[in-house]
Amino acid sequence: MIYCDKQTRILVQGATGNQGAFHIDLMNRYAQSVSGAGVVAGVTPGKGGREVHGVPVYDTVREAVAIHDTEASVIFVPAGAAADSIMEAADAGIKTIVTITEHIPVHDVMRAIAYARSCGSAVIGPNCPGLLSPGECRLGIMPSPLFMRGPVGVISRSGTLTYEVVDELTRAGIGQSTVVGIGGDPVIGETFVDCIRRFSEDSYTKAVILIGEVGGALEIDGAEAALSLDLPIVAYIAGVSAPKEKRMGHAGAIIEGGEGDAASKIERLKAMGVTVATRPSELPAYISTLL
Amino acid sequence: MKLLEYEAKKVFSTYKIPIPASTLITSVGEAADACKKIGGSVVLKAQVDVGGRGKAGGILMATADDAETVANDLFTRKIKDLTVKEVLVEERLSIQKEYFVSIAIDRSSRSPVILFAEAGGVEIEATAGERPDAVRSARVSPLFDEVPGFILRYLTRGCEKEIIPVISALYRAFREKDALLAEINPLVITPSGVIAADAKLIIDDNALARQGITENRDLTEREAEAEAHGFSYVELNGSIGVIGNGAGLTMATLDLIAHHKGAAANFLDVGGGAGSERVMYAVRLVASVPDVKVIIVNLLGGITRCDEVARGIIAAGVSQQVIVRLAGTNEAEGRALLEGAGYRMLDTMEAAVAAAVLEASS
Repeated sequence: MIYCDKQTRILVQGATGNQGAFHIDLMNRYAQSVSGAGVVAGVTPGKGGREVHGVPVYDTVREAVAIHDTEASVIFVPAGAAADSIMEAADAGIKTIVTITEHIPVHDVMRAIAYARSCGSAVIGPNCPGLLSPGECRLGIMPSPLFMRGPVGVISRSGTLTYEVVDELTRAGIGQSTVVGIGGDPVIGETFVDCIRRFSEDSYTKAVILIGEVGGALEIDGAEAALSLDLPIVAYIAGVSAPKEKRMGHAGAIIEGGEGDAASKIERLKAMGVTVATRPSELPAYISTLL
Repeated sequence: MKLLEYEAKKVFSTYKIPIPASTLITSVGEAADACKKIGGSVVLKAQVDVGGRGKAGGILMATADDAETVANDLFTRKIKDLTVKEVLVEERLSIQKEYFVSIAIDRSSRSPVILFAEAGGVEIEATAGERPDAVRSARVSPLFDEVPGFILRYLTRGCEKEIIPVISALYRAFREKDALLAEINPLVITPSGVIAADAKLIIDDNALARQGITENRDLTEREAEAEAHGFSYVELNGSIGVIGNGAGLTMATLDLIAHHKGAAANFLDVGGGAGSERVMYAVRLVASVPDVKVIIVNLLGGITRCDEVARGIIAAGVSQQVIVRLAGTNEAEGRALLEGAGYRMLDTMEAAVAAAVLEASS
C-alpha cells in the first residue's frame, strides 16, 4: 500500500463542518474495524477545545501536530480558505495532505502545491475523494464496503467512476492494495507519475489500473513512468464522446486548443504498448492477465 | 470564462500594455464617427468568441469614406453561426515586426508557462517547424510574484528591449486576474513602439466571484440554470438524457451510449450527496430538453443514498421513460420504491445504457 497504512495518524482540517464531522466518524469506524490509528485530531480556526465524535479539535495545525504527531491530513475546508490550509499543514510538517475541497481557484492551488512540495509534503487532490488502502486505512471519503484487499493499485482522476471500477474488481475477486483518487482539477499535487513511482516500490502491488479522462496529458506521463519502472498497467480513459472546449464536470476535464482529447490519449497509450479498456467492465479481465 | 478582445485589451491597458487607439460600436450609425475620431484607415473587428475569426470574415479594413458600408456588412454577417453585436473599430497599425507571447498553465509542472515566439499571427506553427530556436518557453514558479529577470532575458534574447515590460505586465495581469490564459498574438513593433494588436484572456471559472464577475457568459441558458442548482451540465445533441453522479462516471455513461451507437442529449453530473429534491430538479431539467426521448439515471451511491435518488425520480414525474441504474448505499430501498412506482431499474450501467439506446431508437 502507498501513502497510508494502519499506523497513519490522521488530522482533519475543517473538522467541525458537516462533511468534516461526518467523515471523521466514517474514517474512525473504518480504523476501528482494521485496528488502525485513524483520526486523532481535528482543526477548525476559532473552534479549539471542542470535540467531534470524540476527536479533540484545535485552532491551528501546529498545536494539533505538537500533541498528536499526525502524519497525514484530510482537508474539508471551503474553497476560499483551502489553499491556506494546505500550506498550514505543510508548514507544520505533515507529509501527506489530502484535499477533498472542490472549486479552489487554480492560482491558489499552484502556489499551495509549490509551497507544500518545497516542504517535502505530498498533496493529493484537490477536488478528490482521497485514498483507501483496504484493511489498512481510509484517508478520505471513498465508500469502504466496495473494497477488498489485494494486489491491484488504482490511480484515478475521478470519484464515482473509481468506485464503479473497484466494485467490478471486487465482484471479480480481485483485491486492491491502494486506490488513489488524484483529483479532477487541472493542477493537482500527486500525479499519475508520483503514484506510479510509489506503487513500483510497494511490495503488495503487482499491477496498476490508470483511470484517466479528457484534459491534459498526465496519463501519458504516468504510463511512461510505469513502463520505465517495469510496472504492469492497464488504462481506461473516459470522455471519448466529450465535445471540445466544454468542461465535463471536472475543472480539468476539458479539451483545449485541440489537446487532451480521449481518442488521441488512447492512441498514444496503445502505441506505447499499454492495454486500454474500451469499457470499465473490461478492466478486471485485462488486469487479471497481469497478476 | 473567455473575455472578448476589447475586454481583454481594456484589462491589459490597465497594466500599461500599449493597445491600439479604438472605439467599440454597437450599431452601423456609429461607424463613421468612430473612424473619424481615430483618423486614417481603420480595422473593424467583430467581437465574437470564435477561433480563426479573420479567416471567417470577422475582420475588415475600412476608411472614413466606406466605414458605414463595411460596418453594415460586418453587423449583418454571421461569424461561424454567431451574430455580431459589437464591433471594435481600431487604428490600422503600421507593422514592422510581429511577436507572439502567451501565458498558460502547464499541468505537468503545475506552474505557469510563458511561450514566446519571434513570429506572430498565423505563422507561429510554420516558424516553430523551420526555426525551433525562435520559439522559446519558460516555466515560472508559482511562488514568484514577478517573472524573474533571467527568464525575461532568456525569452526575449536578441529582440527589442521594449518587449520585456510587456511580458512582465502580462504576467501580472495573468496572476491578478486569475487567468487560465493571457495571450497577445500578435505583439507588434510599429514606428511608434510596441503594441498588443490582439488580446486573449480566459478567467478561471472558480475565481469569477472574487474577480467580480457575476455571470458566466460561456454557458447556455440551460447550462446556467443547471449551474444554479449546483449541477455540472453540458448540452449535446442526441435524444438520450443522461444523469449521473461524478464527472467520470457520467462521462463513462456518455461513452457507453456512443459505444452502443446511441446519442446523448446532455451531460448532467448531480454531484456528491444529492438528495431527492436535487435529483427531482435534475430529472425535470433534462426532461425539458425538447429532443429527449428517454432518460438514463446512472448513480453509484457512496454519500449519495439510493432511496433519496428513487424518491427524486418518482417526484419528478416526467413523461419520458426513465431507465435507472442505482448501486451502493440503500440500494434495496431504492429498488423497492422505483419498482413499486413502475420504473425500470437495471443492475449494471451497461444493461441500462443498452436499454436506453434501444428505447431511443424505437
